[in-house]
Amino acid sequence: MNTDPKHIRNFSIIAHIDHGKSTISDRILELTGTIAHRDMQSQVLDSMDIERERGITIKSQAVRVDYRADDGDVYHLNLIDTPGHVDFTYEVSRSLAACEGAVLVVDATQGVEAQTVANAMMAMNANLEVIPVINKIDLPSAEPERVKAEIEDGLAIPADDAVLTSGKTGVGVHDLLESVVYNIPAPTGDASAPLRALIFDSVFDSYRGVVVLVRIVEGTLPSRARIRMMATGCQATVEELGVRRPKEVPTDSLSVGEVGYVVTGLKDPCEVKVGDTITLADNPAEQPVPGYREVKPMVFTGLFPIETDQYPELRDALEKLQLNDPALLYDPETSHALGFGFRVGFLGLLHMEVVKERLEREFGLDLLATAPSVEYHVYTTNGEMISLHSPQDLPDPGEIDHVEEPFLVAKILVPPDYIGPVMELTVERRGEFVTMNYLSASTVEMIWNMPLSELIMDYFDRLKSNTKGYASLDYEFDEYRPSKMVKLDILLAGKPVDALSFIVHSDKAYERGRSLVLKLKDIIPRQLFEVPIQAAVGGRVLARETVRAKRKDVLAKCYGGDISRKRKLLEKQKQGKKRMKNIGNVEVPQDAFMAILKVDE
Amino acid sequence: MNDAVDISGASTDTLSMVDSANSVPSEGLSASERAPYGALYIHVPFCHKRCSYCDFATEAVPSTSSRLDTYTDLIVRSIHHASQSGDLSHIQTVYLGGGTPTYLGLRRLTSILYMLSLSMRLEPDVECSMEANPDSLTEPMVKDLWALGVNRISIGVQSFDDEVLQTLGRVHTAQQASDAIACAHTRFKNVSVDLMCGIPGQTTESFRSSVRRAIALGVTHVSVYPLTIEEGTPFDRMQQRGELAAVSDDLQAEQMVCACQELESAGFHRYEVASYARDGYECRHNCAYWTGIPYLGLGPSAVSMQQSDRRRVRLKDGVVVDSLDNRERCAEDLMLGMRMSGGVTDTMVGRAQILLPDVTHALADLQSQGLITHNGSCWCPTDRGWLCGNELYGALYNLAP
Repeated sequence: MNTDPKHIRNFSIIAHIDHGKSTISDRILELTGTIAHRDMQSQVLDSMDIERERGITIKSQAVRVDYRADDGDVYHLNLIDTPGHVDFTYEVSRSLAACEGAVLVVDATQGVEAQTVANAMMAMNANLEVIPVINKIDLPSAEPERVKAEIEDGLAIPADDAVLTSGKTGVGVHDLLESVVYNIPAPTGDASAPLRALIFDSVFDSYRGVVVLVRIVEGTLPSRARIRMMATGCQATVEELGVRRPKEVPTDSLSVGEVGYVVTGLKDPCEVKVGDTITLADNPAEQPVPGYREVKPMVFTGLFPIETDQYPELRDALEKLQLNDPALLYDPETSHALGFGFRVGFLGLLHMEVVKERLEREFGLDLLATAPSVEYHVYTTNGEMISLHSPQDLPDPGEIDHVEEPFLVAKILVPPDYIGPVMELTVERRGEFVTMNYLSASTVEMIWNMPLSELIMDYFDRLKSNTKGYASLDYEFDEYRPSKMVKLDILLAGKPVDALSFIVHSDKAYERGRSLVLKLKDIIPRQLFEVPIQAAVGGRVLARETVRAKRKDVLAKCYGGDISRKRKLLEKQKQGKKRMKNIGNVEVPQDAFMAILKVDE
Repeated sequence: MNDAVDISGASTDTLSMVDSANSVPSEGLSASERAPYGALYIHVPFCHKRCSYCDFATEAVPSTSSRLDTYTDLIVRSIHHASQSGDLSHIQTVYLGGGTPTYLGLRRLTSILYMLSLSMRLEPDVECSMEANPDSLTEPMVKDLWALGVNRISIGVQSFDDEVLQTLGRVHTAQQASDAIACAHTRFKNVSVDLMCGIPGQTTESFRSSVRRAIALGVTHVSVYPLTIEEGTPFDRMQQRGELAAVSDDLQAEQMVCACQELESAGFHRYEVASYARDGYECRHNCAYWTGIPYLGLGPSAVSMQQSDRRRVRLKDGVVVDSLDNRERCAEDLMLGMRMSGGVTDTMVGRAQILLPDVTHALADLQSQGLITHNGSCWCPTDRGWLCGNELYGALYNLAP
């Protein structure tokens, strides 16, 4: 029993962080009776602990709610929740491609903010109908009229009919659903055409294999059908399909316009890619849904267990995480300083942080991360090209013909007042200005070409702080360009520490070396002996500082035989040492390995 | 007594340590099982005023407070009780510390010392020390204490520089300190002073002249402590507010070295990391702490140490706060031994090796780091070992993790 497309609405909710996206979603589930009030767990859709804590969405979600509208008809509303970070831009674009509309939530007190603009742009680029919602109107400081004006001026979205809601009290949620029904177009698509189903998310379940979330663009997908993934060519038989409410409810088929899950039974997550199109093996479509691309990690870092015996556990944990996160790639890596670990590839810095946090929290590992790097293309004198993920693998300078590094097209949206600071920062980061467009009186879009390696050096944080949080950033890989890159080595007590080496543009080597050495001088505590810290390129020392030997370290008076107290202090000292990594005989705190990231302060 | 005295922040840690005490009954080792106490410590937890750096178990109370009497009564009774249970039969050293014992006043001190002399053998060969503050030590008190069996006075001078004394929040002046020493000398041969270094605003020259003044005044023993800013003290709060400059470790080290030079050239020898004495005037009670002699602590927050051939246990206010098996005890003995100039003998190392096979390796490491040296038949701390004691003690303590 398939739903007539005219009774289907597919939409996502987008918002700046903390503007109330999750509470609005919760109220919709509650109002439509999808989840009984007593079963409500705040923010149902963010299922991971980290998602709930950080207020971010990492995985996409889809829930079908049945809504009886004021016109008396029952509509199937598919609410597709999307990840909210630039690292996951591709996933977001695929989720939006599964929708006809978007609900843009704006806080009635904060107004339009950077992510509001970025998300709205993304929705408009995907040709979605955008419904502005002004949330938190229950707050005394709410200013819906000002916010309406901001939406019209800043985003060029008519806001006369903006829905006023309060996720907290539930006011306006009914109006919002009515607006979804009347303003968001019903899905179109030829029900009799060969099947084209867009995969917008994929999860791995150890019992059922790969389970994908799909939007049927054309045709019908029956249960037990033999299917083919158009990009990977992989075939499978549908073991089960259905809709999520949010519990999975199996159905006989999914037809045009519908959103649902498909159990493929495939055991290798790499065979199923987000953005790929599913078609029927015996009646294939000619063209896949456009927009598919291979997701490749952009940022690489070394992850090492602090306790070396945790290496096998780290390997198992990475294996498990990769099942649900095919963008996560890893290879074993050995460091003289840190022992056995992995070089791990991520979509971006947030992805890296989230993965590291999950490894530590869900798997109980203590990890040390080295400074992130990008993939360099090293052309050797004998004509070979090496994809370099780790500074350690850089060949000797004599064998290198030239090095290419990844450049991005970065799009920065910012109020005109902040053009100056953005220019200054981005030029300093080797950015090349391309063009600038006024989207409205209050928003300028700046387009830049810049090296990814510069972007991952706390560029985003700096951009935010230089623009009081207004700038939003979106980027895409552009091309590899030749650059004068060199390897900067850090020597502690005369010995190079491989885990502290990094690749840097030669014009910046001196400055970065100098500031890193100064920084390390503060981070590395005084030891029993003098520790020289040097930054060197190819044996030439660029900067040198010394951590002088500790002269005194003795506890105060031990009173009345209270040796327990003294023991406790020694215990504390021991715990402190445990958190450090011994490199040679130098005790190095973990911060040292990340210091490279923040050299500009 | 517990509720009468602020036991600074010990409670939570105490609990966690009791868990690890496993086989030890919470009241400690039984009298039949353990070795007799060799040292007695009596804690007097009162002061006229708390000093700005102090985090000891003491409290400022008015000299008229009835708490002083209640306390005295309690101590008198606990001495009686200890004597009845035979705990005082082997005591070789007695130490009245605080707080400020002299703040109790002569009448109360007399009750305590009188009770003590009735309860144990308090002859001249038993070392009986008492701490005194320059502002509360009077001539009649000196005479009576001496007559009651006290044979060593330790005066909390801290500095002979009035500005430094003011910084510390001490109530006495340099002149009062000199007077108190002179006063003590009217009866006592064995007079010790405490001096502090590393105090904000204190120059090495100021410290040096304090050391010289102490020597010139004829004391037989000097304790030297670098100031430590402890959590929760007024100094700690002042430092957080930026009102108190931090003293660099380098300057503290310089001053500690200065003390050593001045005292040694005047004929004192360093027998413990913080203690210097003329020959024969080492504080035996102090040494008991570092050489594994069981001690009984009376009064609130006083620590007692008991040991049998299986365990070493420390108790505070009747509760086990520390319980060591033989490996841990052995590591602790090594660590405590290194506080003394005598260090750790080859015989001790030989015995330790059975329980702690890594000991030889650890000693070799410490030697290569220049913290200890092998001297005749023992391992002793070097000058660096004295200054970087925590590294040295930590390495030995960690032998029994």
